[in-house]
Amino acid sequence: MAITWRAVVLTALGAVAVLLVPVPGTVLAWAAVVVVLCGLDVALAASPRRVAVSRALPGSVRLTQPARSVLTLENRDTRRARALVRDAWPASALAPAGDGAAPGSPASLARRTPRHRVDLPPGEARRVVTDLLPTRRGDVPAGAVTIRTVGPLGLAGRQASLPVGGRLRVLPEFASRRHLPSRLARLRELDGRAAVQVRGAGTEFDSLREYVIGDDVRSIDWRATARRADVVVRTWRPERDRRVLVVVDTSRTSAVRVDDAPRLEASIEAALLLATLATHAGDRVELLAFDRRVRARVAGSTGRRVLPAFADALAGIQPELVEADWAGIAAQVRERLTQRALVVLLTALDPAAVEQGLLDVAGQLTSRHAVVVASVLDPQEETLRATRTTSADVFDAAAAERAGLERAAVAQRLRRRGLDVVEALPDELAPRLADAYLALKAAGRL
Amino acid sequence: MSATTVVVGDGTTARTRAAGRWRRWRPVLVVLGVLLVGALLAILPAPRTSTTPLAPDNPSGNGARALAQVLGRHGVTVTYVRSLRDAERAAAGGTLLVVDDYALTPQDAQRLAQVDADLVLVAATQYLDQLAPGVGLAYGGGSAATARQAACTDADAVAAGTVTAAGALTAQSPGVVTCFPAPGAGAQGGGAYAVTTNAAGRRVAVLADATPLTNGALATDGNAALAIRMLGRHDHLTWFLPAIGAGADGGGGGQSLGSLVPPWLTVLGLQALVVALVLALWRGRRLGPVVAERLPVVVPAAETTRGRGRLYRRGRSHGHAAAALRAGAATRMAGRLGLPRSADAHATIEAVARASGTAPDDVARLLYGPPPHDDRELATLADELDILESEVNRP
Repeated sequence: MAITWRAVVLTALGAVAVLLVPVPGTVLAWAAVVVVLCGLDVALAASPRRVAVSRALPGSVRLTQPARSVLTLENRDTRRARALVRDAWPASALAPAGDGAAPGSPASLARRTPRHRVDLPPGEARRVVTDLLPTRRGDVPAGAVTIRTVGPLGLAGRQASLPVGGRLRVLPEFASRRHLPSRLARLRELDGRAAVQVRGAGTEFDSLREYVIGDDVRSIDWRATARRADVVVRTWRPERDRRVLVVVDTSRTSAVRVDDAPRLEASIEAALLLATLATHAGDRVELLAFDRRVRARVAGSTGRRVLPAFADALAGIQPELVEADWAGIAAQVRERLTQRALVVLLTALDPAAVEQGLLDVAGQLTSRHAVVVASVLDPQEETLRATRTTSADVFDAAAAERAGLERAAVAQRLRRRGLDVVEALPDELAPRLADAYLALKAAGRL
Repeated sequence: MSATTVVVGDGTTARTRAAGRWRRWRPVLVVLGVLLVGALLAILPAPRTSTTPLAPDNPSGNGARALAQVLGRHGVTVTYVRSLRDAERAAAGGTLLVVDDYALTPQDAQRLAQVDADLVLVAATQYLDQLAPGVGLAYGGGSAATARQAACTDADAVAAGTVTAAGALTAQSPGVVTCFPAPGAGAQGGGAYAVTTNAAGRRVAVLADATPLTNGALATDGNAALAIRMLGRHDHLTWFLPAIGAGADGGGGGQSLGSLVPPWLTVLGLQALVVALVLALWRGRRLGPVVAERLPVVVPAAETTRGRGRLYRRGRSHGHAAAALRAGAATRMAGRLGLPRSADAHATIEAVARASGTAPDDVARLLYGPPPHDDRELATLADELDILESEVNRP
């Protein structure tokens, strides 16, 4: 049951009758007329429960990319259905209304579920499109489809909310892919494939080539030189087919906001860039998202399938408000990796959390693997540290200074145990981690 | 694009929907029913009592419910009013009892004098010259209520014989009869009771003291006889007890707001209410349920840092704050100057002083001096550290 503005106008018209016959009975009689007419309209309206609805969605969409939710409505009633249809979505998934408002103004950003007016003769079907523009990563469940059919008088109608299933998987944005070309170029230099001859310090024999001035005389292959009657040097290339395990910490420290997004988002960006880069470098990349239990896992993907698998797995994870179980993570690493590998821990250098957890297992991890700890820095802390406006600011600055010192101390302790520590602002974490990976590769430490 | 399954209807029938609605609305209906029953009970005519002195519905010692009930049993209709307008409307042709006139204005008294009714003034002696011409008030006539003999020829007074009363009313014109003089005083001293005729030709009885009417004193002496005879002359008695402020006529022309509004406006207002209800129904019906969404945490990472800063401040830990600032600055400068981590204070001071061109003593005071003791010293230290750092960082 629902009434329209026409019912309101009809009721208001009763004022004329009231002025002609000013007794309370007139009000009652007019109200009765309105109720009867509305009842009639409801009885004559097509049933929204006899409209067959199906929803078509793209399987997944990348964050900030537009998508469309297409509803197909088929009228299976014998009456014509004049309907108002709402395809409900969470506010973060809807495209801004935008129409009519100046771009950039708050009105243009207002997200309101669009309502579609549909006229469905009996037996016919119509398609209704709702534009989506997700602004939050993760699985977005669609809401109910609400259909309100109006009777022939347009006074009142019937309404039903139908639970039409649907789920849109919003993949991470992977904004850090803009750093990929420069890192791939560096990788090619390491590989010796690029024009610039930067000698990779790898240990794997690659090929023989003619000596050019500037080559290290220690790399001359005397046997080959004797065979060819020309000076020939060996070239080396970085190791391939190494294993890289990216561990994303989804515990409470990943939930706090850094620059208006949870810390986890920066970790995800870094994980995606590293996975792409390492795949190009010929390494096998695996993913583990963990807090107290495994939240996501990618293993066994190779080549072009790595990035989609990573994006899909990382789309679904959300920060959990629990303390990380570092012993559990160490156990997972031990279980998954049988040979020496690079373990990248995307976590937060929160002194208390690190001392309680990561430090205890650092020895276990570094005894078998190369370990890199990557952490997001908060740009606001630097702002706090440098502000001196009021006396309260000085105390805040002192607190920020103390927090920085404590973090540096913890990072130092981790380094002393053989872990590499990468700390960077949210936007820079991904390229900095990629650089750290390339440096390790160049140094032959993988 | 992957099409999902086709959905027809939401799995409900008219019967299940009705059952669901009934289940949803049952608590509301129960509450409404209870409210309705409560309201009905509240407006049922309950025996009302008050605590207003001398009111005909006050059963306590200073009330007058006994008298009103006795009068009622004798066939006198008692109308209890609190405002002048009601009194004027109800009194015509009967007896008008005015009790306690402090809330009345001279204009009110003027209008009371014109009421076509026998007046009985009880403890209402402010406007005697208007309401009871010829009756005067003598002071010092005995303020305590005492038993007094009639000592006059008025039939009501003679029938009563003795009453318990105070006050002294004097006769200032021949037609006035005064009764019940104070014991020991002569007939010229006046009495507690006086009878006269006003300008409109109606009988006016004045009783200086309200004691004889009260529940507490009604049974003593001839109080009841005097009160009943005085008030029971007609079969209709208007009991006017002026309320504070309500004795006046409200300054208007005697018409209420309700009587000024044309009848069609009231009905139109009713129609407007109905329209408002329909409007509310139209706007209130939502097109489907709200879609809930799990939102990410909104706590900024710097929150703990700010909290720690606030703790420093509240604890007035200037020493701690300064130590943090000094350690931070020293660490950064040492890093800039390439000092090893193991460098001691002396080496740091030396290097910083050389790099910044500052006297080693000043550097030592800034980095390792005594802790500041108030906000001002801390702020100065912070500023000086900033300057020192910028000197070191200068290329």
